[in-house]
Amino acid sequence: MLPDSFLIYIVLAPGLAALTGLFHKWIGDRVVMAITTGVVMSAGALSLYQLFAYVAGLASGAAPEHHAGFDAYLTAGTDVASVQLKQHIITLMPWIHVGDFQANWAIRVDTLSIVMMAVITGVSGLVHLYSWGYMSEDPHKARFFSYLSLFTFMMLMLVVADNFIQLFFGWEGVGLASYLLIGFWYTKKAPNDASIKAFVTNRVGDFGLALGIMAVFFVFRSVEFGPVLEAIRTNAIVTPMAFAEALPARESVIVFFGERVYALELIGVLLFIGAMGKSAQFFLHVWLPDAMEGPTPVSALIHAATMVTAGVYLVCLLAPIYEYTFFASGMVALVGAVTALYAATVGMAQNDIKRVIAYSTCSQLGYMFFAAGIGAYEAAMFHLFTHAFFKALLFLGAGSVIHGMHHEQDMRRMGGLAKFMPLTYAAMMIGTIAIIGLGIPHTKLGFSGFFSKDAILESSFAGAMAGVSFAEVAFWFGLLAAFLTSFYSWRLIYMTFHGPAPHAAHDHHGADDHAHADDHHGHDHAHTPHESPAVMLIPLALLSLGAIFAGFYFYDAFVDGQNEAFWAGAIYRDAANHVLHDRHDVPEWVLWAPLVVTVGGFLIATFTYFFNRGVGARVAASGGPLHALFSNKWYFDEIYQATLVRGSAFLGNIFWRADRKIIDGIGPDGMAKLAGLGSRGLSRMHSGYLYHYAFVIIGAAIVFGAVLWLRSGGAN
Amino acid sequence: MGNLPILTLMTFLPLAGALLVMLIHSATGGRGQSGKLVLATGILVSAATFAVSVAAFVAFDPNTAGYQLVEQHAWYGPISYKLGIDGLSLSLVVLTTFLTPICLLASWNSIEKRMTEYVIAFLVLETFMIGVFVALDLVLFYVFFEAGLIPMFLIVGIWGGKDRVYAAFKFFLYTLIGSLLMLVAMVYMILAAGSADVEVLETYSFAPGIQTWLWLAFAASFAVKLPMWPVHTWLPDAHVQAPTAGSVILAGVLLKMGGYGFLRFSLPMFPDASALFQPFMFALAVIAIVYTSLVAWRQTDMKKLIAYSSVAHMGFVTLGIFAFNETGVQGAIFQMLSHGLISGALFLIVGVVYDRMHTREIAAYGGLVNRMPIYASFFMLFTMANVGLPGTSGFVGEILTMVGGFQAATWAAAGAALGVIFSAVYMLTLYRRTVFGEITNPELNGIKDMNLVEWICIAPLAVLTLLFGIAPNLIFNLTDGSTARILSMMARGQ
Repeated sequence: MLPDSFLIYIVLAPGLAALTGLFHKWIGDRVVMAITTGVVMSAGALSLYQLFAYVAGLASGAAPEHHAGFDAYLTAGTDVASVQLKQHIITLMPWIHVGDFQANWAIRVDTLSIVMMAVITGVSGLVHLYSWGYMSEDPHKARFFSYLSLFTFMMLMLVVADNFIQLFFGWEGVGLASYLLIGFWYTKKAPNDASIKAFVTNRVGDFGLALGIMAVFFVFRSVEFGPVLEAIRTNAIVTPMAFAEALPARESVIVFFGERVYALELIGVLLFIGAMGKSAQFFLHVWLPDAMEGPTPVSALIHAATMVTAGVYLVCLLAPIYEYTFFASGMVALVGAVTALYAATVGMAQNDIKRVIAYSTCSQLGYMFFAAGIGAYEAAMFHLFTHAFFKALLFLGAGSVIHGMHHEQDMRRMGGLAKFMPLTYAAMMIGTIAIIGLGIPHTKLGFSGFFSKDAILESSFAGAMAGVSFAEVAFWFGLLAAFLTSFYSWRLIYMTFHGPAPHAAHDHHGADDHAHADDHHGHDHAHTPHESPAVMLIPLALLSLGAIFAGFYFYDAFVDGQNEAFWAGAIYRDAANHVLHDRHDVPEWVLWAPLVVTVGGFLIATFTYFFNRGVGARVAASGGPLHALFSNKWYFDEIYQATLVRGSAFLGNIFWRADRKIIDGIGPDGMAKLAGLGSRGLSRMHSGYLYHYAFVIIGAAIVFGAVLWLRSGGAN
Repeated sequence: MGNLPILTLMTFLPLAGALLVMLIHSATGGRGQSGKLVLATGILVSAATFAVSVAAFVAFDPNTAGYQLVEQHAWYGPISYKLGIDGLSLSLVVLTTFLTPICLLASWNSIEKRMTEYVIAFLVLETFMIGVFVALDLVLFYVFFEAGLIPMFLIVGIWGGKDRVYAAFKFFLYTLIGSLLMLVAMVYMILAAGSADVEVLETYSFAPGIQTWLWLAFAASFAVKLPMWPVHTWLPDAHVQAPTAGSVILAGVLLKMGGYGFLRFSLPMFPDASALFQPFMFALAVIAIVYTSLVAWRQTDMKKLIAYSSVAHMGFVTLGIFAFNETGVQGAIFQMLSHGLISGALFLIVGVVYDRMHTREIAAYGGLVNRMPIYASFFMLFTMANVGLPGTSGFVGEILTMVGGFQAATWAAAGAALGVIFSAVYMLTLYRRTVFGEITNPELNGIKDMNLVEWICIAPLAVLTLLFGIAPNLIFNLTDGSTARILSMMARGQ
């Protein structure tokens, strides 16, 4: 679509812009901010143009295989199934070339990366802009903007990779940026703890991802997506590296820990463990709520719209693997469904505004995963796409609230904010209506969440009818989660924007420590909530447009009539996989069920938090076991602390003692005692041991020489 | 370059420099003021040595697999003076000549006593270290290998911390046993093959039963050097007691002699035994990685933590070497070079604050970022390199050795991959406790950021860590010939 030079600009320029942060002492904060924001926003404009132009090209009625824009720039891949993969790869330079292990620095352009580029740079550009207001009083603005751009660069490298290794580079790179940004306020304890927790939990996932990549190389003798996915698509015969026989790719086996297992199953499970870490899925989700210690624009960009969706992107990109697995795809569906429900239950019982949205993110990611797990990859990507708009909107709206409330995050101290910040209120309402997926079945009237979430739920039901494993569980969990989503989202709105205003006697606390923007309001009402400056409201307005219209506008392309032409082979489905299409054949009640539960959640929230504001607090105070379970996040942190962390520390201490007592005790110290070299004797002869050593060497050399001399004929 | 004995020149130039230093010392009457002059001379000599190694690099043809720039003179019976390099030894030689001037420069403000002897010790050590990598004769190798210990003992024992004697003693005891066994094996080999020439021995087939014993004897020496679990306990003590420059050279170069030894001798000369011991070595590698990573996490002394981390990272080297495939061996060589840069830099990083505060206790620090932002940035870079973040050289070595290991034994790769998690735990904890947070120790309030000398020492390592992380083919192009050659000799046994 775009010329190569523009694509290279989109991917690399944010990385270079990030480097300007190193020179902020000389060029000043403002210059760093202007460069990073300008670069990322221009990249965003280009990427969005590319996406819109592409979709417009589809709509112009060109034949699916010959839509104008694509053929000009994308070279055709090999024939796969029914759809040709259209892909364009720009190789920048070689990276690691060792035998068959060939990884290049490259930019891969296909529909998946076009969509991801638009999401990443679009949201990132707005977050950069928003941060001008939000971070205006922070003393480390240059560092902040530099990290944001670094993140953008790493995320782009992840989605444009043409091989597993560059993907891993971006994968860990976004982890680094996330670590740096969560711990941005590095003098405080909580952000430091949270940043380490995030990095280490992600590393647990990366353990799986790395092993998965090793298994891929083992089986396919390549780490490039092209040949690997091609082999699976065509079911080519592959010969793994060692001790396994040549078999068709989909039936290939591998011996792992002494067990013969299907290679694709193993690869699928291992890679998904990586995705679970990055996308905060059940078991590895514990870092995401704590990540809210970072500045709010970071939460919007990294921990809502982009980085955490990398796992979903990975599963969709590697659809050929998950299409031909049973356990791995079942695991994706089950873990996704459980996460969708689990996170929603916890989200109901949180009082920190950012944590509610964080659990909401976790839950929505669960939807994306179970969609992918049952084979509706397009629906997963569609939800990823629409979710980026409304979740970034909700986070930035929450940031605006926190900003206006002078860094208060506890919703129990909020209330009645609607009249103080009407524009933020409007934005949050739009975000809420979008996330609960309000819309009328059979029509195209609805906010963006309606289109994507209902596509997922209907596909799951279609999958259940077709007997796809865990599809039925996914449907019911998803439906229940939709009910809870509606409840906690409205609870947030009511607690924050409605009711009486308890903030008259306000004291400063909460983790968001940005200094307040005094230039936007006078000191006289420093303790009164206020609306945010325009630089923060403009991103809210633009994201609101996306939250309203993105679903409607892109529905056809992503999941409906034009989806094959749109994806152009970038998402692979087996010829027998019809879940996405079959969602049109589900019973009528399935279409209405989401609307019913959503309205139900809304009504309950309205009764408990709007008309009778005390009810929610009383339920919480009554201390029921269920509430305790939810508000304590099912005690995951406590369990992990008691087992994994304590266990490792215990082992570490044991090993360290073993080093000193056993190894040294038997080894050098023991020998020293045996030889009668007590510590006193040792210190007396501390200049002597060198002579001993030299003596041994020289003596040995003499003996050695003598033996040689004798053997080679001696004096003869 | 013609007939210029470039390797001999490179090897003995530092030794000649040591003589020069002695002359300067006596010419100036050995008074205290001569310290900086002597040190400057040492730096210049080692820089010149680096220049010669670059010349060797230029003269080296990476497309030829065998030994190059060979110099051979008959010496005594089966023993000859034979030098030569292949890609493996050249890369380690350049690492040595690159790190030595940095080490000497890093001593500019930190060494106060006996400067002349210090510089001499370092220059002599450099000669021996280069000699180890260029020697192509068993006896010559042995002489360099063992002789190198003496200056290292002196560096730890004279300029070290308060428990330097215990540390040096431990170092001595471990190394001695390994060396004696290796010497016995060498005698046998020379008698059996009738030559001490490495190239001759590479083609000589020892009977499998004999190979086992010879392999064990060599491994005893190399395992101590690398070091492998459970003969690693000398390393933390030696590191903690050694002066900063000593730690840099110890971690940067001396440990690599173990890996080099396995690749130069054990694999090509005892292929059957190497294959026999593969599971054993994998087990030790995985134990080293997991065990020492956990131990590193429990340390309260910065240098000890990094020393244990070194043991863990050398576990990846073992894993890669004994994978017996191209990815593994290339990865192991790369990991040795990368670890030389990263751990060297980390010891320099610790040295920066040690010179200011004279303590290595982690608890004495905290909040350094508030006073030393540039230091914090460099420290962050090397922290990330040490945890193997892609884009730094640390990643390339780790992923390739694991990919190689996976092909040989999935459990070994999975065990090693655990180390990737733990390394993040201990390094980030270290960083957080020393650099992040508020300043709680009032003595840190006046601490100064990195000075010019420290910049000059650390910045080149940072540049190379990133360069090799982004373009590792610069190394692989150099080492692929020798890797293929080693593997072909290895394959001969199976």
